[in-house]
Amino acid sequence: MRLARSILILAAGGAVLAPLCVLGHGAEFLSAKLTLLPDAEVLLEITADYGSNPLIMDEAAALDALTDPVRLRQSETLVPLSNLGKATISQHHNWAEYAPAAYLPSDTEGEAHALITSAWRWRSAEPEIVFEMPKGKLHDLLLWTLDATQIEAPPKWMLLLAGDRSRPIPIQQTPWWRSWMAAAGAGGLILLSAYFVSRNLTLRQRTL
Amino acid sequence: MSNRILSLLSVMAFASTAAAEVAYEFVPNFITPPPGKETIGDGHGEIAVDSAGNIYVSVQDKDPALAGLQMYGKDGKFIKTLPLPPSLHGFVIRKLGDGEHIYAAVLGEQKVIKCNLDGTVVMEIPTSAFPAEQRDFVSVTKTDDVDPKKKSPIASGLKIADSKEEITLKLADGTEKKIPKEKGVSAAGGLKLTNCDVAPNGDIYVVDGYGRSFIFVFSADGKFKSVFGGPDKPLALANAHKIFIDKRFEPARVMICDRGHKRMLHTDLAGNFIGEIATEMRNPSSASFHGDLMCVAEIAGNVSVWDNANKRVADLGTSPQMTNTPGIAPKDWQQGIVTSPHGITFDNDGNILETEWNKWGRVLKWNVKK
Repeated sequence: MRLARSILILAAGGAVLAPLCVLGHGAEFLSAKLTLLPDAEVLLEITADYGSNPLIMDEAAALDALTDPVRLRQSETLVPLSNLGKATISQHHNWAEYAPAAYLPSDTEGEAHALITSAWRWRSAEPEIVFEMPKGKLHDLLLWTLDATQIEAPPKWMLLLAGDRSRPIPIQQTPWWRSWMAAAGAGGLILLSAYFVSRNLTLRQRTL
Repeated sequence: MSNRILSLLSVMAFASTAAAEVAYEFVPNFITPPPGKETIGDGHGEIAVDSAGNIYVSVQDKDPALAGLQMYGKDGKFIKTLPLPPSLHGFVIRKLGDGEHIYAAVLGEQKVIKCNLDGTVVMEIPTSAFPAEQRDFVSVTKTDDVDPKKKSPIASGLKIADSKEEITLKLADGTEKKIPKEKGVSAAGGLKLTNCDVAPNGDIYVVDGYGRSFIFVFSADGKFKSVFGGPDKPLALANAHKIFIDKRFEPARVMICDRGHKRMLHTDLAGNFIGEIATEMRNPSSASFHGDLMCVAEIAGNVSVWDNANKRVADLGTSPQMTNTPGIAPKDWQQGIVTSPHGITFDNDGNILETEWNKWGRVLKWNVKK
């Protein structure tokens, strides 16, 4: 069974669906919105619903679920998100901002939702990032990837269960020519400064 | 990953061996929706078959022409809608000494009903019949004065009084806590009944699957007898979505879809743990039995069939992508591929019918190959 799941995860691609639901089922997983920003910056916003969720009964349970929801795989190590820095935590009711459209609530299931989002922002040193759910995790994770440099591209999502690993996700590296340009610019400035300094010295010597 | 591929190959190999005993073929477009409708309507329920072969599907649609318990003939053609509550999240049809009845958990009203096959309610287990310890367990919160989106927890416990001025809780340590009903203070919780089934002696088992996963036992006439399960050990259930009485065994067992933990397990009728049937599933949501077989609806996108030695003998309709959403529109449906299976049943011939958690409503059928 987990077999097929692996294939699915590998195959998981863009999904064109309808609105997102959260009652009963939908709220059972954490929604992880991954935004790939320019210059290798990554924003990960993970949202838990404790409004009508049989797996997360209250705010304390939601905060607990967000403490270590998923890990980053770096070589053979699983890195907790807490290693990336302190998370920013916010409370809201806005599912539409934090989960793909396919998961909006059915209008016949009008239960109240109470959402908490933990956000981590970091600059990746790796060209790709891989998420992994340690075995034994209770909460599934819907990983939803947005590329801020290609806003029109359809979002991609995959559902990760305990023991699952995401496919490698390429981050938005700084273009090679920008670093060369920066280096060239810096070099030019140094040369220019050196020129003016030497020119001033020469003028002073002549004056003396 | 290589282990998973090996597992896949071994399961495929096993499935092909088992195919001599059990194999199924998909029946395209089996269900004919009610006249004038393209789909059957918002589904978040169950499907069952009576002894005459008629098919019943619960539908929670806003459209009153669709909402209730829809009845179809053996050929999948719509017959009528029984005027029952739309939120029959889980139900079974059982024939006992007093005839054939529908037993249903009404999620929207937190009660259990027993009906004739024409929809006449003959017995009801009201919310008040459930033990207060589970029924009145609530969490009290206060909405922030400055940021109304923020709710702060105050306490959780058994609500023993609720007046205009204050809510009184009995806490886990036995003490009482009085919480003034200031602006923004509210209590939420209580039962969220998701399914029921009937034991051979007539006892009715009910599960609080969207609540705290307690399983309640009532006598055939609706009197409370006992409770087991819940979030704590020994069973430590999480979103015990549906339960069934597994009569493939003697004595019969309780089969629990412990969906949060992605496992199925058996207890005896008193609630004592017998063993896990399977783990690492795609979130088991419902089940049905026929002979030695059990079929299971896994909401993250699979239908599986198991023998009575707890071996998986078939997988049907496996979605290539994990799902668990009601939002997949008909234009994205693929023949023979499930989206989010929520209810399931064998018919009297061993064919499998499955209903999905889907806002448009969807039923799939696989015929057993003879």
